[in-house]
Amino acid sequence: MKKLRNAKWLPMLVWIGGMIALWEVGALVVASTKRTPENVLPHLYQIIAAIFDNKPVNGGQTAIMVVLGSAGKTILRAFYGFAAGTILGFMLALIMKLSRIAEKLIFPYLMLVQMIPILGMAPIILSITGDINKSRIVIAAILTFYPVATNTLAGFNAVEHEKHELMHSYAASKFTVYTKVLIPYSVPYFFTGLKISAPMAITASILVDTLQGDGGLGSMLSQSLKHGMSIYVFWLIVFFSAFIGIFSSKLMGMIEKLFSPQKRKKRGNGV
Amino acid sequence: MSEIIERTEKKEVEISIKELGMTFQDNQGNDVRALTDVNLDIYKGEFISLLGPSGCGKTTLLRMIADLLEPADGEVRIGGRTPREVRLEQKFGIVFQNAVLFYWRTVQKNIELPLEVMKFSKEECKARSCEMLEMVGLTNFAKSYPNQLSGGMQQRVNIARAFSIHPEILLMDEPFSSLDEFTKEKLHEDLLRIWKQTNKTVIFVTHNIAEAVFLSDRVCVFSPHPGRLSAVVEVDLPRPRTIEMKETPEFNELVKKVRGSFEGGSV
Repeated sequence: MKKLRNAKWLPMLVWIGGMIALWEVGALVVASTKRTPENVLPHLYQIIAAIFDNKPVNGGQTAIMVVLGSAGKTILRAFYGFAAGTILGFMLALIMKLSRIAEKLIFPYLMLVQMIPILGMAPIILSITGDINKSRIVIAAILTFYPVATNTLAGFNAVEHEKHELMHSYAASKFTVYTKVLIPYSVPYFFTGLKISAPMAITASILVDTLQGDGGLGSMLSQSLKHGMSIYVFWLIVFFSAFIGIFSSKLMGMIEKLFSPQKRKKRGNGV
Repeated sequence: MSEIIERTEKKEVEISIKELGMTFQDNQGNDVRALTDVNLDIYKGEFISLLGPSGCGKTTLLRMIADLLEPADGEVRIGGRTPREVRLEQKFGIVFQNAVLFYWRTVQKNIELPLEVMKFSKEECKARSCEMLEMVGLTNFAKSYPNQLSGGMQQRVNIARAFSIHPEILLMDEPFSSLDEFTKEKLHEDLLRIWKQTNKTVIFVTHNIAEAVFLSDRVCVFSPHPGRLSAVVEVDLPRPRTIEMKETPEFNELVKKVRGSFEGGSV
């Protein structure tokens, strides 16, 4: 019994079970009201069945082809923006650490960029860049750089005073202090930033998709509703988007482990 | 006994401290005298303790010797050089109270860090770190990470790292004060053994009277309000020192003498 209570998977199982139950109750209720020809809240098994359905839903493509094809586009654009935002965020953190003036100048206003609603920002960026692909990348980058910059900076600042003094006593150059201490020390902080921003980059990419219809999960999402492609495609996209969002964050955690050998080893009992 | 006589005979002053003083500003902006008018000569190869309660300026003195702090008045000369010059020559080994290890580096790589900073070759880094690991008895833990070690072992890595650069002067700021008594006694013996092997000048800050007496050639007693050097007590116990010596009347006499030389009463 105690073992059961300590099991990590138990709360997750309860949650999943609860969600499924809630969903199915909802599906039944919606089905009974039945205002549309198709059930807007289909049963879960129907959505799952749609994955394996060979019937073409859009231009000769099956449901799963539509979802995966557009997901590929969305992820690729999100990735470009994410990569750009990550580099920008890291550089900004470095600049703010190197110069107190830069920190005072930049840091308080960084948050403002974050506070502008992305939905409002998207059309403006689109009209500036004039290209939906570019604006997708720009918006993903804008959402990415802030968590990366602030977390990395927090990592730089978290280095204990004694470590600085130790390096000072070795007469280490500033460059050495950064490469040997500050940057390696901030790696977990940097990855915390990445874990937050990776799903945001994907969300941004999906959102911008909806502005113009040239593929991508977001445009398929609105099309699937408007053009009566199939309600199952709609829900497949919703679930798949949620999945890649969560997975992108998990992926960052996995990459982090690859870079931090001390995390792979278990804590031992020394003498 | 011959060893002691030898030590006392060839006393060569390495660090000379003259009328050294330090003033800090508190939160209200008032000047607080942390240390006042310290005159002290430290000999080459000597193990000297700076002993006192908190707020007596002992760590301040250590930090001024290490060029981590600029003195307000007076001066420190190390073989005729300023502390800054000695630091830039990379001749200081510093051991803090916390082990200050780099968590992403293995034990061995932690010991090699200062050597890397000082641009030693890869082979030299490895040779020295292996030698140091052997000296502190952590050869089997070379590939471990700091978070896998106990507090005592971490502190050993810290000491090994400080010795790895073959410093002229080893500065230790309460290195054992967060360790339990058993670990501490073991590390005392280790430290004395390593010190004997390498013959460095050691300046050891502590607030533990028995520890200061057990380890040192001389104990500098500091008193607070204002921080000042109030007495220097010669410790003429023979070396090598052993745990059993702590039970002898001579040892207890010295502890009593050191305790008696505090000024400022109720600390």
